[in-house]
Amino acid sequence: MFQVATRFPNPLCRFLTPRASVLVEAVRGRKSRTDPKAKSKAGRVKVPPPVDPVEMVVLKERFTQYDLITRALRFEFKEEMLRQRYEQEVGSLAEERAKQEAEEHCALMAWNDAENLQLWKLRELRVLKGLEEEELKKTELAIQREMKMESFVKEKEQEILQLQEEAKTFITLENLDQRIEEALDNLKNYNFAIDKEGRVVKRTVLQ
Amino acid sequence: MVHLSSLLLKQYHGGYVVIRLSLGGCTNRPFYRIVAAHNKRARDSKYIEQLGSFDPLPNIHNEKLVSLNYERIKYWIACGAHPTKPVAKLLGLSGFYPLHPMTVTEAERRRNKEALAVGGGAEEQEQETEQVV
Repeated sequence: MFQVATRFPNPLCRFLTPRASVLVEAVRGRKSRTDPKAKSKAGRVKVPPPVDPVEMVVLKERFTQYDLITRALRFEFKEEMLRQRYEQEVGSLAEERAKQEAEEHCALMAWNDAENLQLWKLRELRVLKGLEEEELKKTELAIQREMKMESFVKEKEQEILQLQEEAKTFITLENLDQRIEEALDNLKNYNFAIDKEGRVVKRTVLQ
Repeated sequence: MVHLSSLLLKQYHGGYVVIRLSLGGCTNRPFYRIVAAHNKRARDSKYIEQLGSFDPLPNIHNEKLVSLNYERIKYWIACGAHPTKPVAKLLGLSGFYPLHPMTVTEAERRRNKEALAVGGGAEEQEQETEQVV
């Protein structure tokens, strides 16, 4: 059962429980086989309970009958259970169930195919729309590109024209002497201040 | 990670299923559940299936209520379960099994004892009346 407690768990136990007797924790079945018997039980002789032979004979007969009947019942129950299991797995009910399941399966597959068709059609429409939109975008992009090219070309032409016009006022080897003469004749005074907007400042602090 | 299911599924070697009473309830108020369990399991621990209940204390109308699931009991007996003595007695009283021999013998013994007591009392009364007379 449980382990025997330590010899002296509490100093008081020395007086309450002398060494000779057993110190066991458990309550049920306090003593085991190896523990010494109590002094009061020293001369005890265990006697089995008295049995009435007549009653015993009758009882034995009754028990044999009872066992016979219970065993027969057990076999009957076993047979019934096996038969039920067999019918479930192999019998007519199983076939009907299999047929029903097959029918259900067919119906569900047909429904599934119909759903797939519908979805496929929707997908087709969507795809066509997508293609159309892509084409529109492409055309728009092409138009924009052309417009950009045109504007670019126009700007470049404008620059060329402006350059041509400015080229008329350039100083070349032939105009060199003439221009020097002109510059020396028309003296310009650049001694003025300018603000951020480019206007000439007329009045300053130092004035 | 330890697979807890394999630890909880105990495999018994050479064990068998029993139909027995597993005790529940509170102090001074027992209540039994008729249960199909492995033989080696503790009395109140994990069982395979509950097949009924038994209330040993009589109720207001002096009845001790017993419930039995005959279908499942049939199944388990077919699978080879052994009912214990009290369960067999209950089944016998309910009519599912034949009456247990011990129920009959106990009843007989009680009847004989009562008859003896009545006979002894009558004799004592006779003796007393004789003495008086």
